[in-house]
Amino acid sequence: MNKSKVNIYVLFLVLLFSCNKKEYFVEPGTMTIYREMTQSWVRNFNPLAPGANARWPTSSGIYEPLFIYNSMQNENLPWLGVSYEWKKENRILDVSTRNDVFWSDGKPFSAYDVEFTFNLKKIFPALDGYGNWQYLESVQAIDSTKVRFSFSRIYVPGFDAISSQPIVPKHIWEKIPNPIEFTNPNPVGTGPFTEIITFKNQIWELGKNHNYWQKDLPKIDKLRFPAFLSNEQVTIALINGELDWSGNFTPAIDRIYVGKDPENHHYWFPQTGTSIFLYLNTTIKPFDNVEFRKAISMAIDRDLIVKVAMYNYTSQAHQTGLSGVFENFRLSDDKINENWINYNPKKSLEIFKNLGFEKNSDGYWIDQNDQVVEVEIGIVSGWSDWIRAGKIISTNLKKVGIKSRVKPQDFGAWFNNLQTGNFSSAIGWTEKGATPYPMYEALMASKNVKSIGEISGINWHRFGLKEIDELVLKFEKTSKKETKMEILYQMQELFIKYAPAIPIFADPSWGIYNTKRFKNFPNEKNPYAQISPNAGIENLLIFTNVESK
Amino acid sequence: MNTKTLSYIVRRFFFYLLAGFMAISLNFFIPRLMPGDPASIMFAQFRGKMKIEQLQALKQTFGFPEAEPFVDLNGNLKWDSNEQFTDWNNNKKYDSKPSSLENYVSYIKSLFRGDLGISISHFPQKVTEVISTGLYWTLFLAGISLVISFILGTVIGIYLAWYRDQKLDSILLPSLSFLGAFPYFWIAMFLLYYFGFKLDVFPIRHAYDQALMPSFSFEFITSVLYHSILPAFTMIFVSLGGWMLSMRNNMISTLGSEYINYAKAIGYNKKILMFNYAARNALLPNITGFGMALGFILSGALMTEMIFSYPGQGYLLLQAVRAQDFPLLQGIFLTITFSVLVSNFIVDIIILILDPRVRK
Repeated sequence: MNKSKVNIYVLFLVLLFSCNKKEYFVEPGTMTIYREMTQSWVRNFNPLAPGANARWPTSSGIYEPLFIYNSMQNENLPWLGVSYEWKKENRILDVSTRNDVFWSDGKPFSAYDVEFTFNLKKIFPALDGYGNWQYLESVQAIDSTKVRFSFSRIYVPGFDAISSQPIVPKHIWEKIPNPIEFTNPNPVGTGPFTEIITFKNQIWELGKNHNYWQKDLPKIDKLRFPAFLSNEQVTIALINGELDWSGNFTPAIDRIYVGKDPENHHYWFPQTGTSIFLYLNTTIKPFDNVEFRKAISMAIDRDLIVKVAMYNYTSQAHQTGLSGVFENFRLSDDKINENWINYNPKKSLEIFKNLGFEKNSDGYWIDQNDQVVEVEIGIVSGWSDWIRAGKIISTNLKKVGIKSRVKPQDFGAWFNNLQTGNFSSAIGWTEKGATPYPMYEALMASKNVKSIGEISGINWHRFGLKEIDELVLKFEKTSKKETKMEILYQMQELFIKYAPAIPIFADPSWGIYNTKRFKNFPNEKNPYAQISPNAGIENLLIFTNVESK
Repeated sequence: MNTKTLSYIVRRFFFYLLAGFMAISLNFFIPRLMPGDPASIMFAQFRGKMKIEQLQALKQTFGFPEAEPFVDLNGNLKWDSNEQFTDWNNNKKYDSKPSSLENYVSYIKSLFRGDLGISISHFPQKVTEVISTGLYWTLFLAGISLVISFILGTVIGIYLAWYRDQKLDSILLPSLSFLGAFPYFWIAMFLLYYFGFKLDVFPIRHAYDQALMPSFSFEFITSVLYHSILPAFTMIFVSLGGWMLSMRNNMISTLGSEYINYAKAIGYNKKILMFNYAARNALLPNITGFGMALGFILSGALMTEMIFSYPGQGYLLLQAVRAQDFPLLQGIFLTITFSVLVSNFIVDIIILILDPRVRK
């Protein structure tokens, strides 16, 4: 082959490929979103299936719940349900459903669909992700717009789980013999997006529901989901302006992302209400000692953690563990009479001395049983922000004479150790809900405490308190707002008194958006919903508010 | 074909059959020795949004129960550990111990039906469905790169050995070994950044254009080739040196033998001598290496796939390990095991053709 021939071939190939390159062209009205990291898409649209395996937004775009709890506004928005009423001393909950709603196949939606959905979960407990049937006795439609929930025991917080349940159509699901294994490849829902336009291993598209009950909505034609396999790929797509909405962790976002196009590139990292905690296993001595836990807390430089580990994307935790949207639940400052959250290593050292600890030749504290006090912090390997935070904590602790190190573990092993109580210390999240109640219940109620080796889903540190148990019982029985607030204040006082877990920083939610093609994303100025695509059913508010330009 | 050759082939076949059976058995037991259980990990995906009761129901579904309290529908606490559990695939009851003999037998049986069970991390998808999303792409990308790099490396190795201690040899030898020592994800990232992002001449992700449907059209095939250039290049780039080096070494020792000297002395045609006489013998160890490499293709090129968001098996395997998704793990290992065995069997036959000594 001579040279000119080669050149012709190369030219031909280049021409061939250049007419082939049209990746970045998307039709107007198409929103490209990154939410799930995957190599290939797997077709599953079952909103009830166990495991988080249904494609997003199955439960927050294709199917809809009765009410949407808006965590930014702290209110329940009527959705498929229009109103609700507690009756018979909170033993019965009546929900009125909307009557002008149609499924995407044209059939009308009614209260019978609600009745069917809940009873399906009764027959197949593996579908009962929210555990509704622990406190429900029966669910019955009274007529086509009214459904009655009867409780086997009074449990007012159950409303949150009941109201956020995605409702499935009876006329389709009653024919499915095994809904646990059903992948629901062609979903029929009431949501703003219901039509699967294409589904390939690299990309899938979800078109709008032309029958949607909110007239003229949504103002987006279709959603588009390319498969991404690494954070680098997502970052490149963000910088290129390919992605309109995303929820990933991006380091130095102001320089890397916003700096490329300050007019259109934006982010908003609101705090979700709870905190990220350092858990000390209270079955181990001296972690069972309140004073010791407070001393550990005072040895931690939260300012440094927020700056270095979290790129200033969040803020230091409050002593109550409440952040962002839960700030208005907080005790007023004059009612808090101690402070173990500010950086105060001197005070820590004092406490260790008062506890009767002595220093060994290496400079580490030894407790009364001649054991070196050691805090080993278990963190999931690869969760880089938490690993950085853990490294700072262990350096802080070494400074006050506590032996400490970070122990990175694979997710499965880490979580198993946490649940069975086979750990010394760990960084972790906590329960979330419409109020701070689930968090305090998880952290302090003795019913959640299990012995070592037994699985406890939420009380990993094994801490239970009688006073909290009484408050929990009271809280479950009341639907009055003032009483609830009173109980939550008391729970906070107890949390501060006993420091069962050590709050580190406020738990943020990541939301990155591009306003080149779309407007009306929520942000600081217009916080109508949480922006993260991980915010669950609240995403429906974004789908119905964002418009293409 | 004489009887000796035939019996050689049959012997090899039975050897691989036995190896395959052992692999299947190990495949069953090893994942079950890992700590933790898949239902708990699935539970973890919810970050606490799933109740303990549902976890118990799930464990039942997967056949991973423990002697733990179980809340039944009426809210009563139960301590029943001898309960039997349904296997959804076969509609069969499992014994409560996950690694029991019954489970093993049922596993072997379903293997023969081509049923690998249901993936836990992709529940309720079948393992075969999950694997098929990436299998062919891995086969394509890693296969093409392996073949290209093998042929290229071998040919370069032959030439370098023939013209050893000359200018080309002294340049190519150290530079290719240097490149072979490069971390290939670094090269992948560099190519992605420079050619994909900065110059924008190559696609930065995926195996084909997002706007196309997979088909045997001209447009689709060129798109696939175009998308494979960067990822394939990274893989060829770093493996080339290895093939070249081993071929060069084999070739040099072959070139030292008497029959080559004799052929040279009588003035034999250089090209025929080089390829038909010297290279044919020197090729044998490389072919064995090729068989090994061919088998490991299906374990996927994790880093390349991740950096270029290329569909394939690499990340799937990682995901399966992280989620302790036993059925999926078994499925992937099975494809790897069988590809190793089959490719080694093929290599045995190729060697039979190339090397007359084996036939005797």
